[in-house]
Amino acid sequence: MIGGALLESAAVALVVIGVAFLLAGTIGLVRFPDVYTRAHAASKCDSAGAGSVLLGLALHDGFAFGDLKLVLLAILVVVSGPTTAHALARAAMRSGRRPWPRDEGGPA
Amino acid sequence: MRVFALALVLVVAATMVIGIAGLPPHGDPDGPVHTHVGARYLEQGVAETGLRNLVTAVLLVYRGFDTFLEVVVIFTALVAVLALPSATRQPPQSRDESAAASRRDTDDAVPVSPVVFLVVRLLAPFIAVFALASLYRGHVTPGGGFQSAAIIGAMMIALGLVFGREHAARLVPHGAKAWLQALGPLVFAVVALVGWRLTGAFLGFPADEAAHALREALVVILEVAIAVGGAVILAQLFMALDAPS
Repeated sequence: MIGGALLESAAVALVVIGVAFLLAGTIGLVRFPDVYTRAHAASKCDSAGAGSVLLGLALHDGFAFGDLKLVLLAILVVVSGPTTAHALARAAMRSGRRPWPRDEGGPA
Repeated sequence: MRVFALALVLVVAATMVIGIAGLPPHGDPDGPVHTHVGARYLEQGVAETGLRNLVTAVLLVYRGFDTFLEVVVIFTALVAVLALPSATRQPPQSRDESAAASRRDTDDAVPVSPVVFLVVRLLAPFIAVFALASLYRGHVTPGGGFQSAAIIGAMMIALGLVFGREHAARLVPHGAKAWLQALGPLVFAVVALVGWRLTGAFLGFPADEAAHALREALVVILEVAIAVGGAVILAQLFMALDAPS
């Protein structure tokens, strides 16, 4: 039973961490100034947030065959999210979008 | 302005919270969803339609006309897009068109990102298997023709992005292209007429136990037609966005 409680705590911790990432990513998506920083926030949100929520759900209530689907889904999210962010950032760079300057004296 | 925006957000949020608070509890047997036609579907659906998946039963039998017209709507959307002048573009004539042409040239000059190329190649077989599974299992479990169409269409678009449109266009046999695009409405019409012949009602499905195999066959044919036709239409809609002439 101790094992079950440990597993349950791990599951809850993973979901809480995931929700924290999703919250931070969402705030970043709204507040960040340009396409690169926003893509950064959104892809963190996807990979770390959705990934750990899915893993937490897979641990929840112990292992079952159906949990394999959640793990596969987490893998898919972790593979496809960064790829999308990469493609977005690459397309923005190719089309001449300048990164946001760190300070006003930087390249505009 | 900020105060106004904040006030607007608060008012909308409060309205939504009040609205949600007024909903019946989740799964409440006396909730409006469960007391009208839904209860009839759940109680009589299997006996009346002979289909094991009630979602399919509602989609193809109870609301067969609605689904038929949905398929026609998707086909009409493609016809409308193809009827736009830019979709069947001839050699550049106006400034807009030569601008589009030069944009295509630069598109070709940009090499495909190796990351995207690898990931799409890696995922495409899994996407295809998922689409087939969702189609094949669709009349028993969640899934079915429309979902499968969206998944196959997305896969074709992703392949078109990394391999080039010409390569992806070869996934659809050129001679059969127009027929495949119209597959959904055509097969739906044929199945509807067959149903008419068998049951005396347009779009009727034989519901008795003896016609089990025939009914399953009709449903599977319909789902496959919706999936293939829908996928070809989705892919074509994407290709038509900036099609090389």
